[in-house]
Amino acid sequence: MASVHESLYFNPMMTNGVVHANVFGIKDWVTPYKIAVLVLLNEMGRTGEGAVSLMERRRLNQLLLPLLQGPDITLSKLYKLIEESCPQLANSVQIRIKLMAEGELKDMEQFFDDLSDSFSGTEPEVHKTSVVGLFLRHMILAYSKLSFSQVFKLYTALQQYFQNGEKKSVEDADMELTSREEGERKMEKEELDVSIREEEVSCSGPLSQKQAEFFLSQQASLLKNDETKALTPASLQKELNNLLKFNPDFAEAHYLSYLNNLRVQDVFSSTHSLLHYFDRLILTGAESKSNGEEGYGRSLRYAALNLAALHCRFGHYQQAELALQEAIRIAQESNDHVCLQHCLSWLYVLGQKRSDSYVLLEHSVKKAVHFGLPYLASLGIQSLVQQRAFAGKTANKLMDALKDSDLLHWKHSLSELIDISIAQKTAIWRLYGRSTMALQQAQMLLSMNSLEAVNAGVQQNNTESFAVALCHLAELHAEQGCFAAASEVLKHLKERFPPNSQHAQLWMLCDQKIQFDRAMNDGKYHLADSLVTGITALNSIEGVYRKAIVLQAQNQMSEAHKLLQKLLIHCQKIRNTEMVISVLLSVAELYWRSSSPTIALPVLLQALALSKEYRLQYLASETVLNLAFAQLWRQPLRISMKPRTILQRSTAKSKSEMLFTSRPDSTTPWGRPRRGTDARCSSGSCIRNCPLMGCP
Amino acid sequence: MAASPSVVPMAAPMMPVLSSSSDFSNLREIKKQLLLIAGLTRERGLLHSSKWSAELAFSLPALPLAELQPPPPITEEDAQDMDAYTLAKAYFDVKEYDRAAHFLHGCNSKKAYFLYMYSRYLSGEKKKDDETVDSLGPLEKGQVKNEALRELRVELSKKHQARELDGFGLYLYGVVLRKLDLVKEAIDVFVEATHVLPLHWGAWLELCNLITDKEMLKFLSLPDTWMKEFFLAHIYTELQLIEEALQKYQNLIDVGFSKSSYIVSQIAVAYHNIRDIDKALSIFNELRKQDPYRIENMDTFSNLLYVRSMKSELSYLAHNLCEIDKYRVETCCVIGNYYSLRSQHEKAALYFQRALKLNPRYLGAWTLMGHEYMEMKNTSAAIQAYRHAIEVNKRDYRAWYGLGQTYEILKMPFYCLYYYRRAHQLRPNDSRMLVALGECYEKLNQLVEAKKCYWRAYAVGDVEKMALVKLAKLHEQLTESEQAAQCYIKYIQDIYSCGEIVEHLEESTAFRYLAQYYFKCKLWDEASTCAQKCCAFNDTREEGKALLRQILQLRNQGETPSTEMPAPFFLPASLSANNTPTRRVSPLNLSSVTP
Repeated sequence: MASVHESLYFNPMMTNGVVHANVFGIKDWVTPYKIAVLVLLNEMGRTGEGAVSLMERRRLNQLLLPLLQGPDITLSKLYKLIEESCPQLANSVQIRIKLMAEGELKDMEQFFDDLSDSFSGTEPEVHKTSVVGLFLRHMILAYSKLSFSQVFKLYTALQQYFQNGEKKSVEDADMELTSREEGERKMEKEELDVSIREEEVSCSGPLSQKQAEFFLSQQASLLKNDETKALTPASLQKELNNLLKFNPDFAEAHYLSYLNNLRVQDVFSSTHSLLHYFDRLILTGAESKSNGEEGYGRSLRYAALNLAALHCRFGHYQQAELALQEAIRIAQESNDHVCLQHCLSWLYVLGQKRSDSYVLLEHSVKKAVHFGLPYLASLGIQSLVQQRAFAGKTANKLMDALKDSDLLHWKHSLSELIDISIAQKTAIWRLYGRSTMALQQAQMLLSMNSLEAVNAGVQQNNTESFAVALCHLAELHAEQGCFAAASEVLKHLKERFPPNSQHAQLWMLCDQKIQFDRAMNDGKYHLADSLVTGITALNSIEGVYRKAIVLQAQNQMSEAHKLLQKLLIHCQKIRNTEMVISVLLSVAELYWRSSSPTIALPVLLQALALSKEYRLQYLASETVLNLAFAQLWRQPLRISMKPRTILQRSTAKSKSEMLFTSRPDSTTPWGRPRRGTDARCSSGSCIRNCPLMGCP
Repeated sequence: MAASPSVVPMAAPMMPVLSSSSDFSNLREIKKQLLLIAGLTRERGLLHSSKWSAELAFSLPALPLAELQPPPPITEEDAQDMDAYTLAKAYFDVKEYDRAAHFLHGCNSKKAYFLYMYSRYLSGEKKKDDETVDSLGPLEKGQVKNEALRELRVELSKKHQARELDGFGLYLYGVVLRKLDLVKEAIDVFVEATHVLPLHWGAWLELCNLITDKEMLKFLSLPDTWMKEFFLAHIYTELQLIEEALQKYQNLIDVGFSKSSYIVSQIAVAYHNIRDIDKALSIFNELRKQDPYRIENMDTFSNLLYVRSMKSELSYLAHNLCEIDKYRVETCCVIGNYYSLRSQHEKAALYFQRALKLNPRYLGAWTLMGHEYMEMKNTSAAIQAYRHAIEVNKRDYRAWYGLGQTYEILKMPFYCLYYYRRAHQLRPNDSRMLVALGECYEKLNQLVEAKKCYWRAYAVGDVEKMALVKLAKLHEQLTESEQAAQCYIKYIQDIYSCGEIVEHLEESTAFRYLAQYYFKCKLWDEASTCAQKCCAFNDTREEGKALLRQILQLRNQGETPSTEMPAPFFLPASLSANNTPTRRVSPLNLSSVTP
């Protein structure tokens, strides 16, 4: 009746109810694959300087690290890898393994006895503290700890490993030689393999603790930096389940599973994994022992904080706030200022969703600097800059602040934040209507190499900043009418960020906006109308605005007016000045198109005042253009000279040209005031991605 | 019965007798079948099934000599394998499985073949357990596999395809499949096994473990035999469908199995699951009398004794079991409970750990150990223990609830919401989870949700009778005086109607609030009744007296109760009419106004 759970094993290491996953500190143990690697190392040491050319040796050395850290691979794969870098060594390794596997147990025993020789002598082949030396010593230690039966088990495993490696070549050669009986046996085996294979397809075998840790950290960093290179969500989950089946105490796997679930927006599983992780973390880690109550309480605080982060990511702001309150309370009780600091940043992120809370943010930055948390500090500065930009602060102050935070980044080599900072600058320049500067910043980011050591081979990461910069680039090109170039950029975006990845929404919105603009310019209103739904799904305010524009173009003036008024009130409430001005311009256009340009004038003047106040030059010039147009409608004879001055500084060049050439009664719309920028670079969401929080 | 001599024809051995009918009219036939299957399973080393059948057979009246069945005749094949079988069975009985398998190799008879495969399976299992201690590294532990399983599966699936497996063979095939985590295939095979050999309880039991919900049960095509009734009753208990299970067991008792200790114990467990403690206790006591050396299910019994804090009985039980067999999981569990009741939590935890050493899959002990660590304020160890319990069985609501409690103690009300919610999902009609949820929401100042929880807790039948008071207090906080008064009235009615002897702390609060409420509504009669009630309690006596004086004053001033004032709620007539401050009112008077 006992409900059977295979992974649960009796653990004799349980003391005081706490299972210590790693009582002996065994992080690694000997497997047949490791023996093969040891043989390779041994061979490398044996062959003198002359035997292997310099190039080959270099290639071998490069090969070694992944071999030492990576998961176990089959013998034939290993041969192939060695062969690629040094054929002759591959041959000798093959012979040695063959001798060992086909010989006797004592060959293996002898091999391990001889291993320690490489440390001895006046000029040892291997340094004790080098990577290889550590590996060798680990292996020797692990081997000497094996019990009698385990040694034999290891040897049979080695034979098995060797035979599996050989099987392929044998199969080709003497298929016909096998007797009937053997053939039958083989059939049985095959049948067995086929039926079992489906379940075991992902079970590449157990990973040792070291290998598992390596796997987890690798995948986690890929998830953060370049999602497309990581395993697909399904296969990653499979690997993790596998890992957890072999060792249910391996808490970190739960965290990765949480991250993985976040990727596919699965709120239930991710909550489950997150809480499971913290339940486990509280107990296993050795630090909880050394730090005593302290380490334990610490993980509790971060547990609550992470829960808040989770809810925030799924848009459950109320729950997030409750969780955050809890984290703050516990952190306060135990005087953990660092944790409090993190909480404060999150408090800002949450507060941002409703009203401006720059006081909070300023405080956060000050505190973060005080406690020496450069990451949080500069993230705070960037958020602050973003907010100030929306609030209409002058550019020089903002750029000064960004420069200061850049200093901080370079000092601590926070490459992620450098990227964000540049993307931020791009956005700010675009907000102010300086397309050249924006272009320059975007190009700078794109032609920069990654600083992170983790993927030294990779030029760049696929982070959010890159997506933002590329989107800006596409929109900038589209604004100047280079639609071909824009679509080229978008194509690149699609390749780099496949549709189901985290940041795909950014380019999707951008793509649809450009298509919409194009359709409007071409006068294909039905096409534009069909795009509105897509835009609304990604950004509701933008969607409503575009809807109004389409309605206006289709001469459904009253509906458009109603929609615009609503939008205006909403945007004034949430202080989205950029949108307010755009809406005002649309309203004005609506007025002068319905032949009442006099009413349009005050609206336009209001828009002008606003855009001047917030220094939104692009919108300002558009407003002036509109103003001129409205006046043209009123007094057709006195064509205002203003447009010419605009011409000199405006990017809306083509529009004013059109204005000059077209008559006021011409039916072609010369393009609607277009919302200039989307400066919403995402430092908010970057706080959310703050890596520190996961690992208290 | 007339057909009994020809029951076992040579061609199809045992088939007629084993394909049993679905009605219980012929108990003698059933008894015969039970005896037969007990013998068959014993011969094959299936000890637990044998034990079950024998127990059940024992509960039926004995057969006269004339009706006793001759042992099934020996076939040609059996005769051939007789020597090998006898030798191997002897080896099997002393647990030398490999040796048994060696001598059975090549035997053709069904019985010998089964024993051959079964000893190979058991040998693999035994080696697996030995390996676990001796594995190479921590990560490999979970990976130790029964190496024999794959081979067994291949061989058995061949036989299965050739339709050469009998009921026992199918059972073994199913077990192998289940061990390989091929649940779907295993279920199919077990269903087939029950069709071929419905009397074998082991196959039914395995099926029980594989079925996770009611829907799955619906889609199984099970043979129509009397064994099915036992199976259904058992699985209803497992799936927490207690009402249905009790119904089934009652039917079985009515049919004539009233002496079966198995059924009695199952009924007791069912009552335990729905927390009908008194009934469960009396049944267990009865069971102990019938079968004093029984150890199975005694852990449940000890839980009940624990809940009722019956120290002496628990102590007696613990000592008794310890005498019978100290190294049984149940014994350790009972002793653990005993120490826990005596507040010696370290020792209790030690015994639960011992139980886990004896059987790591015994999930009850993980949860109980969690409780002990909670008592010792070792929250981290408690969390660990609960997590283990959940890993063994995700549907263990007590472990989820325990986790919730732990985090609540750590003052993380929001964090523990998740755990309580999980527990609530598993037991939607358990008021304790709902009250816990409500308390958390209250701490988080989410009063609307809290109100919902309390109301629901009351609606599903509150065990601790606290939901209404809490709800009333919430309403009080929100200055929803009418609702608050209503809740207090309901609370008082509840208490009076069930005639509890236990002193309820909140009773005085309720009366005080009601007195003040009626006073505000200017319903002098009701107010004075409640105020008089208040005088019966120490903490509210003075207030009650003061209120009475005020009322008297106002009345003397000639102020009549204002009729315009809406007074939606009145105390039940019996209460308000009753001027003498007796506390207990007969429940009948109140029942008419109970909402």
